[in-house]
Amino acid sequence: MKIKMDFVSSAMLDKKPKKKRINFILNKVKDGSILVVDGVMTAEEEMELIRETMRRVDDGFPGIEVCSLKKQVRGFQSFLERLSDQRTRIQKVLIGRIPETSLKTGITLVGPARYIKKIKKNPNSFSVLAEA
Amino acid sequence: MGMNFRGFFDWFFGLFGYRKNIRLGIYGATNVGKTTLANRISLDWTGEEIGKVSEIPHETRTVQKKEKVEIKLNRRKILINLLDMPGLATKVDYREFLKYGLSKKAAKQRAREATDGVIEAIKWLSNVDTVLAVMDATQDPLTQVNITLLGNLEARKIPVIVVANKIDLKRAKPNEIKEAFPQYPVVPVSALKGRNMDELYEAIAKYARRAK
Repeated sequence: MKIKMDFVSSAMLDKKPKKKRINFILNKVKDGSILVVDGVMTAEEEMELIRETMRRVDDGFPGIEVCSLKKQVRGFQSFLERLSDQRTRIQKVLIGRIPETSLKTGITLVGPARYIKKIKKNPNSFSVLAEA
Repeated sequence: MGMNFRGFFDWFFGLFGYRKNIRLGIYGATNVGKTTLANRISLDWTGEEIGKVSEIPHETRTVQKKEKVEIKLNRRKILINLLDMPGLATKVDYREFLKYGLSKKAAKQRAREATDGVIEAIKWLSNVDTVLAVMDATQDPLTQVNITLLGNLEARKIPVIVVANKIDLKRAKPNEIKEAFPQYPVVPVSALKGRNMDELYEAIAKYARRAK
């Protein structure tokens, strides 16, 4: 059996609100695709992805494997990211929920657990073993 | 942000080494020894266990609680509500349970309850004050579940102690956990054998706080 891989730009996912973004990812993965995105979700969004995955688990879909590598930023860019995180927290206090956020720089792989047998992650790389 | 009344009383009693009603959540992936650790802590301070341990993954499928566990260290006292969480996972395959001799019907039922358990554990992240993030020291610590869990706790500003469990096993490498997560306090323990628990209680006394 063949395995399909979809490479999706973060710009395309950024246009979607968080819920639609997670739906898009899970629909692709549930259809059997391994999805690679040039961006990284926040830890909160990733936890939301796990929660939504659990809601969709059934006999034919045992869940997902996910792995991401966030680009290590230093100096001024790191300062800007922290500033952005603070802005997100302030917005959360003001509007009572986490506002829509863009993906951060990095790479994410999400695939069906029934095909992905192993992910070996290192601080700066990861390798994936998949089998259909 | 200013200190509220609860915050003021916490601070005031904290001056005398007393902290109370800290909701201590025990989180981690499946089969890392969360319930064994919860049982060890509960046994050490109350004489009673908190939950059932099993080699079959997802044995704990609802949050197990032990309230008013008083940890006394020298002159310090901490009153905690111990919360043993279902294991976090990105997948739950009922076929895995068949390997342990469960019937197909029982395996499917267990899988359904396990997915509910993961959802419940995630929901409880909003209701814990301090977390023991348990990792199996014989396994690779750089899993997405561990990274996502720690990222969430950091974003929520919840104090976390990483517990490198199962150090009684020969292949345990707690130093790999320390190297993977240098920004967190890491305490190697064997919850099963009760090894190094004093160091863990010291860490709880040092880091456990009520959520802001």
